[in-house]
Amino acid sequence: MKFKINRDHFANGLAQVLNVVGSKATMPILSNVLIEAEKDQISLTTTNLDLGIRCKIKAEVKETGSVTLPVKRLATIVRELPNIDVTLDASPNHQVKLSSGGSNFRIMGIGREEFPPLPEFGDEKAYSLEQAELATMLKNVSYAQSTDETRYILNGVYFNFKDGKLSLVATDGRRLALTAKEMTVPAASAGAIILPAKTVGELLRLLDKGEKVKINFNDRRASFQIATDKDNSGLIDSVYLYSKVVEGNYPNYQQVIPKETHQRIKLERELFLQCIHRAALVCSEKANSVKIKLTSNLLEITAQSPDFGEAHESMAIGYSGPDLQVAFNPAFVMDPLRALTKDEVFFELKDEVSPGVFKTLDSFICVIMPVRLS
Amino acid sequence: MIVHLDADAFFVSVEQALKPELRGKKVAVGGRQRGIISSASYEARACGVYTPMPTTRALRVCPDLILVSHSSGLYGQYSRQMFEICETLTPQVQRNSIDEGYLDLSPCGFKSSEEIEMAVRRLQQKTWDQLQITVSFGIATNKLVAQIASKLRKPRGFVVVPPGTEAGFLAPLGIGKLPGVGPKTEAALAERHGIRLIGDLAAGPEDELRAIFGAGWREMLAMAKGIDSGSVEIDREDAKSYSQQETFAEDIGEVAAIEQVAKRMIDELMPAIRADRKRVRTMTVKIRYPDFSQESHGRSLDVATDIEASFYPLVGPLLRAAWRKPRALRLVSVRFSSVEDGPAQLEIFAQADDKRRRLADVLDRLNDRGRASVVQHGHQLGVRPPREAPGNE
Repeated sequence: MKFKINRDHFANGLAQVLNVVGSKATMPILSNVLIEAEKDQISLTTTNLDLGIRCKIKAEVKETGSVTLPVKRLATIVRELPNIDVTLDASPNHQVKLSSGGSNFRIMGIGREEFPPLPEFGDEKAYSLEQAELATMLKNVSYAQSTDETRYILNGVYFNFKDGKLSLVATDGRRLALTAKEMTVPAASAGAIILPAKTVGELLRLLDKGEKVKINFNDRRASFQIATDKDNSGLIDSVYLYSKVVEGNYPNYQQVIPKETHQRIKLERELFLQCIHRAALVCSEKANSVKIKLTSNLLEITAQSPDFGEAHESMAIGYSGPDLQVAFNPAFVMDPLRALTKDEVFFELKDEVSPGVFKTLDSFICVIMPVRLS
Repeated sequence: MIVHLDADAFFVSVEQALKPELRGKKVAVGGRQRGIISSASYEARACGVYTPMPTTRALRVCPDLILVSHSSGLYGQYSRQMFEICETLTPQVQRNSIDEGYLDLSPCGFKSSEEIEMAVRRLQQKTWDQLQITVSFGIATNKLVAQIASKLRKPRGFVVVPPGTEAGFLAPLGIGKLPGVGPKTEAALAERHGIRLIGDLAAGPEDELRAIFGAGWREMLAMAKGIDSGSVEIDREDAKSYSQQETFAEDIGEVAAIEQVAKRMIDELMPAIRADRKRVRTMTVKIRYPDFSQESHGRSLDVATDIEASFYPLVGPLLRAAWRKPRALRLVSVRFSSVEDGPAQLEIFAQADDKRRRLADVLDRLNDRGRASVVQHGHQLGVRPPREAPGNE
């Protein structure tokens, strides 16, 4: 195999795939990127067996073929090469010569036979979405995923294609975020998957390369074909993401979304976020809550930690309901406020043991459970 | 003034208090078959029995050793009574462990050191009169010196270090008396640097001390001069962790059996945690191999809890992480830490937890808060009933 490639294009391609590596101890090949040269392009593939990424870059291929190389090191070297033109030449014994200007590297590779193949898809369900829209939806819910390994069902974002809409849901058992968009869902293609947190992270990173993203899934796997038509750094065709899904039943999230509205206030998102953020500066790991108090046309936020001190913030709001007080983990309040982009949000409260609910005029809901003060 | 009290051969003393015929004999508390010696009388110590030491070896060095098996719950009860007697003298009592602690006498308003000495002598006598156990006392201006003083003339020690004489008191003592200086450090200091006595250390040139002890040299020098500013802390109400351990009669090699023991420990510790109105976040599983080498592994939940079921899923992974060698185990222990009692984060899918909490509440009442075992979890079936009430550290 031999090809000539633009250094920055090569570095950009490697940057797309280098997050997905497996543990070196169990399978050394999983630290490598599979490089395949054909016609006028090379494709780069990495996998950790749960998740795989493949992208394609234009190159001047002189001799087709393939090899695998340690991806992290290779990416570092390519970034540092002195000349914009880079030549890569692999010998049949998997030794690779990398040259650029006066720099020459000889790198030990591993043959492609050991590289695990990415999964083949059979009859799966398929949808096409706007990349920007999916990215926004994921941002609006992904902070609520659980990182607690004992609740692995919650370690991901739930994609539910059903009843003429796509709903994305994430919850860690203390808060739940949901966003939805209307779309055509043929009865035969209705279905749901839990996309693992790691895949969600990679997807969010990749989703700004073009117009469309195609989703294919079945009960065990999902794949995303991310168009790169807006990219001008050497990527061609699409970036492909293949992932296992979290297998199991997602909890019935519909039943925990409060049906009735009690006290609803309209808030300036940025202002409210800043107030909570400032008040939370006095919180500590042991005293991690902010108290929100509503009285006539006034919202007050207080926080305290016994060994440090306390904070008090107030905001004028439109409110004429009964006085009420409720405490929350400040991160649970700030996360949705940070993820949203609308200037105004609605916040619904009932009493000190009932959930608080953020809503926007779009189909967005975030339910956060309070902290019960002792 | 600060008083350090240190019960003499505590477990043995308690056994002797109940069975006076054991007094003056070579007695040790420990498991017969596979256990270790946890306490030995001074007569037994004279024969070379020390703690901790495997029972088999103790019986080799001292064949006429009278072995008494560990009486669960008893020592804790005596310890409580001992500290309660101390609290009649001063409210400032720090329980350091089951058999030693500090008293701060400054709130008592004593006018002279004679008054203090008299009061502590009365305390020593009172402990003997009421409990028939002997306790050694050290009196000094700080915790460090008081602690060294109490251990100096055991048993029934009573050592007073008048204010201003701390450095002089420590100077002739072996360097190993300082906390943190173990036998290895002691030997190294003597061999390489000629430092044998605390006085040698106190007189050492600063740059030499810096070279020997690195960043901690100032602390070492302060200790050697008898300077310590630690205060008596009385937060004994707040347990920092809850733990339980079991040494098996025979080594156990089956994972399922060990998991069952660990789950039983969870079931026995949680009622105590609920009774204290606490929640815990971190569970640590420790295992010990027959050669006494040990490993432990811990993991924390996102949120503290007082429900057994939240920790069951951690048992398998923690055990696998700790138990790496393909060998049977002689001991397993479970410890809960990151104890919390502040505001509680409510759960969104709470029905299951609410039900479990209601169930736990009923079980706790039936089982008398862990002191009885009227109702057990299914995974305990086929195992003998719980042994002892869980202890706090």
